[in-house]
Amino acid sequence: MASSYTKILKDGLLGENPIYRQVLGICSALAVTNLLANTLFMCFGVIFATALTNFTVSLLRNHIPKRIRMIVQVVIIASYVMMIDILIKAVAPDIHRFIGPYVGLIITNCIIMGRAEAFASQNKPLPSLVDGLACGLGYSAVLISIAVIREIMGFGTLLGFALPARDLWWTQWTIMVMPPGAFFMLAIMTWFARAKLVKQEAK
Amino acid sequence: MNKKSPVYVLSFMAAICLVFGTGIAIVNYATQGLLAKNAVLHRNRVLCRAFDLPVDGTSADAYQQAVDQHLVAEEQDGRAVYRRTTPGHESLGFEFGGMGFWDRIEGVIVLSPDLQTVRNIQFLDQKETPGLGARIEESWFTDQFKGLQIDWDNPRGDRLVVGASPDPDPKNRVDAITGATQTSMALGRFLNDELDRIRSQYSQPLNPEPLNP
Repeated sequence: MASSYTKILKDGLLGENPIYRQVLGICSALAVTNLLANTLFMCFGVIFATALTNFTVSLLRNHIPKRIRMIVQVVIIASYVMMIDILIKAVAPDIHRFIGPYVGLIITNCIIMGRAEAFASQNKPLPSLVDGLACGLGYSAVLISIAVIREIMGFGTLLGFALPARDLWWTQWTIMVMPPGAFFMLAIMTWFARAKLVKQEAK
Repeated sequence: MNKKSPVYVLSFMAAICLVFGTGIAIVNYATQGLLAKNAVLHRNRVLCRAFDLPVDGTSADAYQQAVDQHLVAEEQDGRAVYRRTTPGHESLGFEFGGMGFWDRIEGVIVLSPDLQTVRNIQFLDQKETPGLGARIEESWFTDQFKGLQIDWDNPRGDRLVVGASPDPDPKNRVDAITGATQTSMALGRFLNDELDRIRSQYSQPLNPEPLNP
């Protein structure tokens, strides 16, 4: 049993990573990665929504009428996302002002609906919860990596703290905080990760 | 019960909506106090930025104290008007608002007491496209308004110009935002409407005395 959970976690984080393997959730990956603090809240939202949606859908899977399962899934996802939205607005209003529009868009994030339909509707609640967590963490790992690089290169800061003696040795790359910076970083990371995976699979 | 029967489908959907609706209502109710505090802090921060008030610290109390100490608030036709009476910094702040590209944009414009010069502009609320129209909040955009001369002799919609102007060196024009033409045009449109409203309210000479000495 433990090994199956480990496999689910590994798949979500690496083998079936939602960003560079399944190419899901790209919109928010591009939009909220110019500051690490914003990214962390977005990742928290996606992990929370994916895990709880998977758990709830799995719990109800034998009772949901097949014809309306998509509508039920959307209601569940939207409810969790609205709760997250309210919580972030209450706890971190400044970050909410920046990422607010994207938090709402978690409802339409393909990762959540995809996992609910592909995994949670056919598996038991606990493995579904782990699958949701794993996919959320896989999404977060990629977003955080991109955000760290973009914030350091674009602002010369990390989590808002300036790098030591930044002005002496670093010229900020403005392009890294603009949308093209996100496209470049995501493409480079996807290229790197897929090249590694192809090599591993060939072995 | 048969899962395909309309009664089951309707009952199931109603139950799901009821359970999750209640969940959202509980979270909303539990955070109401925090949300109200955040709203007050946000307003005070915007006012401090708009009037360039000295703030002793970054706490909510520090912002509240700065606003209480330097500004006198009153209401005109349901809109807040702020008066700063500190010698050498006399100015008037007006809440304004109008329809942007997606939703209403609300802000505060600070003018000189003779209503001829814009001292600053800051935004309280906007839901424009992130990365495009939402950039109206960025300092490079709002800083353009500092020192702008309102040309009251111009036609109604051109007292302040956001975007292109036939005059190569106008004192009443700011650059629009690239890629957010609709937001920029909307801002220019309702800002001019609001300026007319402000002038009509303050057409009489302003009382130089503070409201609450």
